Amino acid sequence: MNWKIGTGFAALAMVGMFAATAQAEDKVLNIYNWSDYIAEDTVAKFEAETGIKVRYDVYDGNETMEAKLMAGNSGYDIVVPTAFPFLDREIKAGVFQKLDKSKIPNLKNLDPELMKRVSAADPGNEHAVIWMWGTTGIGYNADAVAKRIPDAPTNSYDLVFKPENAAKLKDCGITFLDSPTDIMPIVLNYLGLDPLSSDPADLKKAEVLMMSIRPYVKYFNSSQYINDLANGDVCVSVGWSGDVFQAQARASEAANGVNIQYSIPKEGTMIWFDNVAIPKDAPHPENATKWINFILKPEIAGANSDYVAYANPVPASKEFMSEEVKDNPEIYPSEEVMAKLFAVPTKEASYTRLETRAWTTIRTGQ
Amino acid sequence: MRKTGLSPFILACMVFGFTFLYAPIIMLIIFSFNASRLVTVWAGFSTKWYGELMHDEQILGAAYLSFQIATINAFLSVIIGTMAAFALVRFGRFYGRSLMIQSISSRLVLPDVILGLSILLLFVSLQGLIGWPERRGMMTIIIAHVTFSSAYVAIVVQSRLAGLDRSFEEAAFDLGAGPFTVFRTVTLPMIAPSLIAGWLLAFILSFDDLVIASFASGPSATTLPMVIFSKVRLGINPEVNALATIIVVAVAIGVVLAGSLLQRQAATRGDGKP
Repeated sequence: MNWKIGTGFAALAMVGMFAATAQAEDKVLNIYNWSDYIAEDTVAKFEAETGIKVRYDVYDGNETMEAKLMAGNSGYDIVVPTAFPFLDREIKAGVFQKLDKSKIPNLKNLDPELMKRVSAADPGNEHAVIWMWGTTGIGYNADAVAKRIPDAPTNSYDLVFKPENAAKLKDCGITFLDSPTDIMPIVLNYLGLDPLSSDPADLKKAEVLMMSIRPYVKYFNSSQYINDLANGDVCVSVGWSGDVFQAQARASEAANGVNIQYSIPKEGTMIWFDNVAIPKDAPHPENATKWINFILKPEIAGANSDYVAYANPVPASKEFMSEEVKDNPEIYPSEEVMAKLFAVPTKEASYTRLETRAWTTIRTGQ
Repeated sequence: MRKTGLSPFILACMVFGFTFLYAPIIMLIIFSFNASRLVTVWAGFSTKWYGELMHDEQILGAAYLSFQIATINAFLSVIIGTMAAFALVRFGRFYGRSLMIQSISSRLVLPDVILGLSILLLFVSLQGLIGWPERRGMMTIIIAHVTFSSAYVAIVVQSRLAGLDRSFEEAAFDLGAGPFTVFRTVTLPMIAPSLIAGWLLAFILSFDDLVIASFASGPSATTLPMVIFSKVRLGINPEVNALATIIVVAVAIGVVLAGSLLQRQAATRGDGKP
């Protein structure tokens, strides 16, 4: 029987040793991000370069991640929240730590213009760097739209916000994102009002416009339109750039003759940012800092953008991308278009409530 | 004597019922052999998604984790749920009985989000108070799943127990059997179908739970539903269909085997059910 006790002790001792080494070495990094939102070999390259083992977990939405961050002790070292409204309020709630900028020399690679825009959520860019960014615009089935409206104004929100145009497109389907914070500022901007306005009177005007085209809208949904556009089941979707590119890629892969295009409307539209940040209670903040420095290398950022077809904040990375991505004006818009893009910081709670109520009215059409 | 043929109405009902149940599954299986990346557009026959699936460590790892969690959860839930059912049916009106009934039914009606969030907050505050669980992962997901699936098991077993004829057990007691022998040789075989049903229910509840697992999980514990939902943002491909097809086939084989096993058992006993 003695050997049994002996092995028991040996096993215990070994467990203790492993625990001790794990604490001393700490060569682990826990990342929490969307699935497939990174080039396939980025993690492997990071592991090879630093010897840090990456544990990559995925979530289904900013809300899930936020709940875990707010509850505390999530165990993650890197999370990727969207700037508005998530990063904004998470920073206000104090769940992120400040970046140790002295250990991230590659911060110099960032585009200062973009970082200035995101500083509305993160003053002084102290907590986060941009992971990917894009726009909300019009995805459309070029042939189906041209058939119904010759010389359709596809480069303008007139396409959906003018009732006479919307009426002609009704039979083939118009869709909107199901998110008032993504759509209502665009409507305000289209009406010539300030998209950042939190005046209930402005909101009312936007609601009236949306109600005027409501009969022609097929549905409000933030993910279904990808497949429906690709299949030719809907014609025009006001949606996120990356989603429309995905629909485009799928349609061309399926060779079903559906020609999907994306346009950034000339009136200007919303720009969005997903950002990398380190939670305050991250178990491995130093490894996380190394990760941030790593992803800001031009060749790594370029490979990631190439894979996911979203723009990154590192201008020097363009030489590591295929031409379809870097020369695509809908991914990397011109200076002139960039000037018209706006980001909308979280508005005050009383306005948001009104906005949500208006959105419910619009959605239900009553 | 009435002819045993099916009337057109019954036949139509049956066709409708089977279509309703099986059409989505058949579509899913067909599209797993789609050559296109699009889940909904047919572009020719191909088995490439099965090949890709075999190399997709993220999905396979998540599927294996979900399977482990569901299995362990099912066993634990059956044990705890059966004990709860016994207490409710056999112990008479003990102190705190209505509290127990409420705690069981509340887990059935509580929305997943609320249950998940409260479990998350419980784990976080426990960690602050006593240092356990040190980090969340597979273990915490199992605990969260047992919390709600044991309630389902309790309901299933309870209804079986309540309808049970106690005279069999009393006869066994009269013949000198101890409580454990009675439980093992008389009670257990009689409630076995409900235990199996409860086990399967608990397994399924755990296997396809997204919300509660999302809250209770931690680093390196991503279950299958979490991976699939996360893929929605950048596109689901037929790999998911391929995996679902494999699961459907495995379940079908399991059901057929279990069915024939039960039938054979019933035949040898000669009586069917007690």
